[in-house]
Amino acid sequence: MLKIENLHVAVRDRLILKGVNLEVGDGEVHVIFGPNGSGKSTLAMAIMGHPEYRIVSGRIIFDGEDITEKPIDERARMGISIAFQNPPKLHGIRLKDLLARIASENGVGEKFLEIVDKLNISREHLSRYVNVGFSGGEIKRCEIAQALASNPKLLILDEPDSGVDVENLELIGRFLSESLRNRSALIITHHGHILRHLKPMKAHVLIDGMIACEGDPEQILSRIMRDGYRWCERCRLMRGG
Amino acid sequence: MQIDEGRLREALGKPAEHGEDLDLDEFEREPGVRAEVDEDVRRRSLEVGVDLGKASSLTTFLQVDHEIAYRAIQKQFQGDIELMPIQEAVEKHPWVREHLWSLVSPYADKYTAYNALKSAGGFFLRILEGRRLHMPIQACFLSYSPGIIQSVHNIIVAEPGSEACVITGCTMRRRDQRGLHIGVTEIFIGPGARLNYTMVHRWGPSFHVRPRTGIALDEGAVLSYNYVLLGAVGSFQSKPSAVLKGGNAAVSMNNVIYLDGSSRMDLGGDCLIAGRGCRAELITSAVASGRAKLAVRGRVVCEADDGRGHISCRGLMLSDEAEVYAIPELVSRRMSASLTHEAAIGRISEDQLVYLMARGFSREEAESIIVRGFLDVSSLNLPSFLEESIKKIIDLAVKGF
Repeated sequence: MLKIENLHVAVRDRLILKGVNLEVGDGEVHVIFGPNGSGKSTLAMAIMGHPEYRIVSGRIIFDGEDITEKPIDERARMGISIAFQNPPKLHGIRLKDLLARIASENGVGEKFLEIVDKLNISREHLSRYVNVGFSGGEIKRCEIAQALASNPKLLILDEPDSGVDVENLELIGRFLSESLRNRSALIITHHGHILRHLKPMKAHVLIDGMIACEGDPEQILSRIMRDGYRWCERCRLMRGG
Repeated sequence: MQIDEGRLREALGKPAEHGEDLDLDEFEREPGVRAEVDEDVRRRSLEVGVDLGKASSLTTFLQVDHEIAYRAIQKQFQGDIELMPIQEAVEKHPWVREHLWSLVSPYADKYTAYNALKSAGGFFLRILEGRRLHMPIQACFLSYSPGIIQSVHNIIVAEPGSEACVITGCTMRRRDQRGLHIGVTEIFIGPGARLNYTMVHRWGPSFHVRPRTGIALDEGAVLSYNYVLLGAVGSFQSKPSAVLKGGNAAVSMNNVIYLDGSSRMDLGGDCLIAGRGCRAELITSAVASGRAKLAVRGRVVCEADDGRGHISCRGLMLSDEAEVYAIPELVSRRMSASLTHEAAIGRISEDQLVYLMARGFSREEAESIIVRGFLDVSSLNLPSFLEESIKKIIDLAVKGF
């Protein structure tokens, strides 16, 4: 579904990703761990095609097609979707109207209301302007609803568990474990809280713009919880050395 | 009020304080062609939210050029309101004469003076005491004959405890038509009365508009005064002024503007808080495209205890040749007053565009979604059919963008 080859990405003049290789198969859910500033969100944005994230070298293949040069909206229409970590506020645009439009453009129709119900998004929440005055949990749920309203082939979730209380985390986790069946996904998480409810098949640890380590998500997470990301740094140094 | 004709003739040479000065001699006094209420007129009226065909409102008033072409009040509401041509009202109720020119000075400028000397038509609307009307009252003014000055004088009296929603649509038969619309409107809102007064205007690039509005609010009166202008206008200048006389009165003036072409618009709002605990709000959302130039002047003066005032202007620039000029003014004469203002003018944010594009919308679609959102009228508490029709007009206006 997704294949990333030797990806180098710069934001303004600063090189953030320094040769990432990654492969996510059909229907596979992968998780990306990494300390703050390691390039996790940059990787998400580069896959989505955010214009501020410049691909310096390397390739992104999606669904068998090289999308490295494709603009963000085209990638979205091909089936890549993202739940942003820090989305902007959209004054004057009501959540319900936006969701309905995304759903109708992607042939999802009224089915988006099922997503809304499962994510416990209230009518009142739907009638508000997108991300204006939303709580942390409301933002996450609204992002996931939008990302899924287009019925994507590949879903990228950028920190779906940050700034979310326990109840919301459980709700989001339960919903995702159901919605990610038969769908490829890349979940970016710093703390790994979401893994209490989801069982990805593979984890990748991103350190300083490179994949430092890959393997079983639970094993890697418990090691990170015990020793912190310093463990990975040492590991990478050892491997590199 | 006694009018001094000599002073009026003198005032005919007096330009308005703001906006482009017009030579009234360049316009026609009388219509050159006789108007007909045909499909064109019906369609234009509908574009400004006034439906002449349906029973979607409890009453309808249509003036084409100088003539009252149509008026109807649904039977069951005849004891709730009065709606008639202003001349008829003056004859029927002598007290109406006292209201004329009591909130707008006829000597203010050449437009008020012209109106006082040569007003032709306008409506008198009275919502009787304690009546609460849940269907809108509609009035429409349409310029038909090319080059004409349409000069009307309206009086609205909302009696104590009444509630109503009034929609006035102003437009013209052909978009390329020349002309001038001078509308003097005096609005009296009695104690505890609530009025939603919404104007929807569509003009053309050779049409000039000079509304003159005065508003008085008694104790506990509430007014939502909404002005929606979409598209092009040759020149527009207006500064409605409200006096909040009674305690705890509230006025909210909301402007929703999408200006294109070479339009010139000078839009103000002036509120005087003279009663204790009153609130005044002036909120403008304006989109400027093409070579349009827009000035937004808001002024709140507080002379009574516990008054609150707020001015907000949000401008969205769609072109480097357009201009938005925001001039908020706050004057406080009370320690207990709280007056604030905010203004923000900018372009469409790249973050918002990218966000929507990540949902699969093209750049053009994303821009249009943002512009429509910027002009959102759903917070104005309008009847749903009017909200829908304004949305449609907005869709048309921003289509090319």
